[in-house]
Amino acid sequence: MIFEQIIAAGMILTTPILLTAMGGLVNKQAGIVNIGLEGKMLSGAFAAVIISSFTGSWLLAVLGAAFIGAIIGLIFSFTITRAGANMIVAGLGLNVLLAGILGFVLNWSFNSSGTLRMPNVVLLPKVLPEEIQIIPIFGKVLAELDPLTIFAWLTVILLPFLLSNTKIGLWIRVTGNAEKVSHSVGIRFKNIQDFSTVVAGFFSGLGGAHLALFSIGLFNEGLTAGRGFIALAAFYFGRDRPVATALACLLFGFLDATQIRMQTIGLPPKLIGMIPYLMVLLALIISSIRKHQRTAK
Amino acid sequence: MLSSYAQKGIGFALPLIVAFLLSGVLLVIIGENPVKIYSMLVDESFGSSRRIAATLSASTPLLFTAVATAICFRSGAFNVGVEGAFLIGGLGAVFCGFFLPVQLGLSIIPIAIIFAGILGGIWLYFPGYLLAKFEVDEVVSTLMLNFIAIAITGYLINGPLLSPTSGNNVTPVIHDVAKLPRLMPPSTLHGGFILGLISVLIYGLWCNRSSSGFESALIGLNQRFSRAVGISVQKTLILVMVLSGIIGGIGGASHGLGQLYRFSDGFSPGYGFTGMAVALLARNSPIGIIAGSILFGALASAGTTIQLFSDIPLDLINIIQGTVMIFAVIEIARLSLRKKIRAEL
Amino acid sequence: MKKKTEALQATNVHKSYGLVKANDGIDLQIFSGTIHALVGENGAGKSTLMRIFQGIEKPDLGEVFVDNEAVNFTNPKQALKMGIGMVHQEFMMAPDLSLLENLILGEEPLQNNLGVFSRINWTQARVEGDELAKNIGVSIDWERKANSTPVHILQFVEIIRLLRRGCRIIILDEPTAVLAPPQVEELFNLLRKLSKSGTTIIFISHKINEVVAVADYVSVMRRGKISFSNTIDNTSISEIAFHIVGDNEKKTNNLKGGDRNIGDILLEINDLSSNTINKSQELSAISLQLHSGQILGVAGVSGNGQIELLECVIGLRGASAGSINLKDQNITQLGVFDRRRLGISYVSSDRANEGLSLSSSIEDNIIAGSHRDSPISNGHTLNKRIMRATAVERLDRLSVKYGNLNETASSLSGGNQQKLVFAREISNDPSVLVVSQPTRGVDLNGIKAIHDIIIDFASNGGAVLITSEELEELQKLSDEIIVISNGKLVGRVDGQNSDIKEIGRMMVVQGGGNA
Repeated sequence: MIFEQIIAAGMILTTPILLTAMGGLVNKQAGIVNIGLEGKMLSGAFAAVIISSFTGSWLLAVLGAAFIGAIIGLIFSFTITRAGANMIVAGLGLNVLLAGILGFVLNWSFNSSGTLRMPNVVLLPKVLPEEIQIIPIFGKVLAELDPLTIFAWLTVILLPFLLSNTKIGLWIRVTGNAEKVSHSVGIRFKNIQDFSTVVAGFFSGLGGAHLALFSIGLFNEGLTAGRGFIALAAFYFGRDRPVATALACLLFGFLDATQIRMQTIGLPPKLIGMIPYLMVLLALIISSIRKHQRTAK
Repeated sequence: MLSSYAQKGIGFALPLIVAFLLSGVLLVIIGENPVKIYSMLVDESFGSSRRIAATLSASTPLLFTAVATAICFRSGAFNVGVEGAFLIGGLGAVFCGFFLPVQLGLSIIPIAIIFAGILGGIWLYFPGYLLAKFEVDEVVSTLMLNFIAIAITGYLINGPLLSPTSGNNVTPVIHDVAKLPRLMPPSTLHGGFILGLISVLIYGLWCNRSSSGFESALIGLNQRFSRAVGISVQKTLILVMVLSGIIGGIGGASHGLGQLYRFSDGFSPGYGFTGMAVALLARNSPIGIIAGSILFGALASAGTTIQLFSDIPLDLINIIQGTVMIFAVIEIARLSLRKKIRAEL
Repeated sequence: MKKKTEALQATNVHKSYGLVKANDGIDLQIFSGTIHALVGENGAGKSTLMRIFQGIEKPDLGEVFVDNEAVNFTNPKQALKMGIGMVHQEFMMAPDLSLLENLILGEEPLQNNLGVFSRINWTQARVEGDELAKNIGVSIDWERKANSTPVHILQFVEIIRLLRRGCRIIILDEPTAVLAPPQVEELFNLLRKLSKSGTTIIFISHKINEVVAVADYVSVMRRGKISFSNTIDNTSISEIAFHIVGDNEKKTNNLKGGDRNIGDILLEINDLSSNTINKSQELSAISLQLHSGQILGVAGVSGNGQIELLECVIGLRGASAGSINLKDQNITQLGVFDRRRLGISYVSSDRANEGLSLSSSIEDNIIAGSHRDSPISNGHTLNKRIMRATAVERLDRLSVKYGNLNETASSLSGGNQQKLVFAREISNDPSVLVVSQPTRGVDLNGIKAIHDIIIDFASNGGAVLITSEELEELQKLSDEIIVISNGKLVGRVDGQNSDIKEIGRMMVVQGGGNA
């Protein structure tokens, strides 16, 4: 029973990270390291709660969240591609700025200090009937299945195809791999980079929407709790490959789910929480050492 | 071509102007008068000696983190890990503060500070070594290390270092002898401020008057030239990362021994990143760092107070800081210059 | 007799960049279906002319004709449409993408029409690629990633890419620079096949014997003009070499002035070898001795190892075999810092990126390298007063004209920049001065001043190892000139009585057993 609970919890916690990471890896493939994913997730969550409450439609809320994320992504991208801002600093600044704007609006318009409780928030629906719980092991997971999770995993399946086999996929990969080359064959790489950042924003918005609308239906300033960076860790660890990244997200999702429960076994939750970052660090070290040995020959 | 002082001045002022304009617009939208609010901020920051003390107190941690960041940025090393060094050093100092026997008296303070500096230096030595020897991307490595530092300190203060008496996730209070003296009671301004100023001073001297400071600036500007004149780029990179860690760690020590007297969650509400904003704004110059630290300290301290008796949320400060960070790295005044350079290629 | 049509023609083409006249009245005819070699030293103007042909630049004067039609390219796309394409020395390949992906980049065959979201037709891409490859007699593993593909295959893919886009005039820039001899043969076979099928090939190269092996025509560019043009059958290696290095018959006056004492051996290099790194030339078993008071010139067609040799002496490049001794001390394992301390100084050929830090102040530039030496420093702290005084003294010693010590080095003229570099490098009274391209980008007055500096240095007992692309400069300054070809030492002549023809001939000798 506990095992099933953990699987279910893990899958659920994976989705927001997975969505964000998919967008982030497209961005990275085009050459932009998007440190501002955290802020975009938060914004998406905020938008989702408000729109859901006002319209009564989870679909509109989700789309709205993605749209907000995309717009923010576009503006953010312009500061990098057109105004030459350093992408790391701009990303960090964006997180701070967005947290500030959201907190400001929260405080001012909604008179709340940190948490936003809206009336009539419609949550994400469960796609499968409750009875499906009966299925052993995966029953609970399937019962909790929501549209965004399906979309997330569909993306995992489709993204490799899109990246390898479409014109835009090829252009994205060239831009990230060798900007000079893409320029020399006439590809407008700045537009490509902007597009990829919009995609990242779109998906982060969806990730935020899931965080907000899966079970609680409220917004909290600390809702994302570093998940934007965990997503970053995931696609760094997965070397920008969708499937490897998805597996990393699964792992991180499960670590998240088991974190609290770990305490009963005696393993410190905080240290478990640092595993994703440690993994990225190790992966980075190993790949750099390998590259070094190769060029030294 | 403007003189470098004029350029730095514009570089400092422009992002601030944009930031204040942006928040001004926001204030107008919510029906407030920006001029009134800003003058309230100024008044609250500098309006009396008690308020000035509060401002300086809030700027103390920033002095350290800005210097720590600037040391690396100046050399072309994109170290975003000062936050982690601050935490590690801070916990280390606080640990000395409550763990070492009271009988050691006032000597606990220098011991704690040195211990913090060593911890911070070791902490950032690793990404430095990886960068120098294997070209490991220092942005990602130090970013990850920040989170690892949060996790490690979080674990320690909830486990081995947990206070036996008070609550969760907090260490015991340090001994009275370990506390840095208050400079202007009853305000919280403490001896760490002096330490911070000294750090900036030493940083300035190091930049201008030391051979290693000379070298570190050169590798930031032209690595090939540096090698040709006999500078070891690898050694210098490691040096600046370690120095950065030491200063960051001492900053944490100052905060723990002078302000909070213990270590708990939220020991650093992003001092590392605010320090980065200051360093960027100041273009790594010592005077700019002092000015920027005081500015952001003023915003933080005045903002907190204003929040109490007005409707202005503290988040305004974050908006200003975020905008400053973004605009500090935008090449606005140089847009036309960049177009020219592109054409020549 | 087949009527020769001009595929490409330049008539009276002039192009200047600021004060530099890169192309000074170029008249060039390239016949279609031929391999036309274009040779000349760096800075002769070849790249500029190629940029004009590709539509990247517009000529100030003169006209370009493609297939006897006048053209006026305003951008590279137009040139490409007219069938002109170039394979650069730096390949335009995305390293992590496959060869096939690199091939179709920008002109992807599509399966459906969804704009940028269209699906790529890989089958068609492969078919096109295989066919083009077959036509030129090579076979390519299209799935391989570019970064794991040998260089000569990358080159084939670059050529195929141009062919796929319909290029009939293909320019190759130093294509054999990165190839081993058997790969060179493969490339030449490919080029011959291409030209037989009607493609026109312009082949830019330094290596005269290769030119003679594969080209139908050769034109030599020198100082912005075409100094010589003929069919390969009607000329010889030595004639071509002669035209590259200079055609003034008058003997250049050696400035030696006769009275310098050649003293003890200061620098001794024994069997020095070093490896290729990133397309640099490898060195094989070079031995030489440098005496006090001696100026030893190193001549060679550029890219044959001169710069690599000098980098080995200063320590910027490691030796794979052999030894270097400075005054009987083995310095082979020492780094740049230690070698400088022991008395070797270096004037780099890359002034902007290695000789100076252009965005640093003049003061910093002149002091760099001595910033840990007494009395400027006690090893750790700088004495600013002494630093400043030393800076002024060094600058004045060589009459460097500057405004303010705090201005950036980029504010100086080329001549003064170079004087600054020399001032810095001789200020510590080194025993050995290693100089590369001493007067590149320097005006006439500056050139004279720098030559005086070098001769003075030698007159005071220093030893100079110098390389220059201007053979006359070497003749003016050197006591002896050694010639490097393909990383090997192939000859030695007396500086004063040297004959340009003889040097030119040595420069193109392939040292030891190459086709």
